[in-house]
Amino acid sequence: MLVQYGLHEMSIAASVLDALRTEAQSHPGARVTRAGLRIGELSGVEPESLRFCLEALVSGTDLEPLAFDLEICPWMRRCRGCGAEFRVVEANPLCTACGSADTEAAGGDQMELSYLELEEP
Amino acid sequence: MRVPLERKVLNENDRIADGLRQRFQSQGTFCLNLISSPGSGKTSLLERTLGHFDRSRRAAVLTGDIQTDNDARRLARYGFPVRQITTGGACHLDARMVERALADWDAGELDVLFLENVGNLVCPTSYDLGEDARTVVLSVTEGEDKPLKYPATFHHADLMVLNKIDLLPYVPFQPTLACEYARRVQPEIEILEVSCTTGEGLDRWFDWLDRRL
Repeated sequence: MLVQYGLHEMSIAASVLDALRTEAQSHPGARVTRAGLRIGELSGVEPESLRFCLEALVSGTDLEPLAFDLEICPWMRRCRGCGAEFRVVEANPLCTACGSADTEAAGGDQMELSYLELEEP
Repeated sequence: MRVPLERKVLNENDRIADGLRQRFQSQGTFCLNLISSPGSGKTSLLERTLGHFDRSRRAAVLTGDIQTDNDARRLARYGFPVRQITTGGACHLDARMVERALADWDAGELDVLFLENVGNLVCPTSYDLGEDARTVVLSVTEGEDKPLKYPATFHHADLMVLNKIDLLPYVPFQPTLACEYARRVQPEIEILEVSCTTGEGLDRWFDWLDRRL
């Protein structure tokens, strides 16, 4: 059961550690030394705030030392006309290749555990 | 040894939300998640909505706040089932809170369930509550650029309700600019301009709801 915190990055960080412990169970005896996270620009999560919360929650526990690698995933759209995928800059949804306004969401809301680095006993 | 994963951080929340969504769909309940800054008018919009509904309408509200049950008491006057979720510090509702609140609450079969989130334009965004649609409420006493400052929230919204338009003569807010910014962030977003004080524009909000019930 997760504790709830006022800062939602703290709740998210607790979910990250929960997910990490669950995944680590498939490798009995190994210890996790590094965890990779993918955080989208549209995820609603502030990466540095998340890092602060992760480090605070890990500190003084059996998970320490544990390093976090945060990969920021850009806000992307795809053009329904020419098919180009492009990064959205300054919230401009127009296709950067052909200028079309007919575009659709194509990523940027990721919040994923992308890898674990394990040290076998 | 590096083990690649693709595990969603909030997969436990999403799993509960999927269960709620299936339940709402099988019962024919339209579920709406309302998100806004504190004071934009979520509760006022719900008061207007419940006041407009015929008593035969099967509607209920779950309202989230960090403290107090003031909103639930405001809404209970309209004769529909209302329940307060007091998060005790958490800045958002999550799917488990909704599931728990529904578990021991006999609100009957519903046509519509409103989830009034905690007043906060950031934190509720990441949490799927099993809703069919998401509405963000913006008011003209805020900045027009809120969609640009909080793109994640507006990007995930189906509808933006621009509230307090009766105050437009007294504030420098430019509605066309706010709408342009919202459509830049989310080109498919629907926008309704209303005043919960005078009732202006609310017919279009009631129509929007009726089309979904």
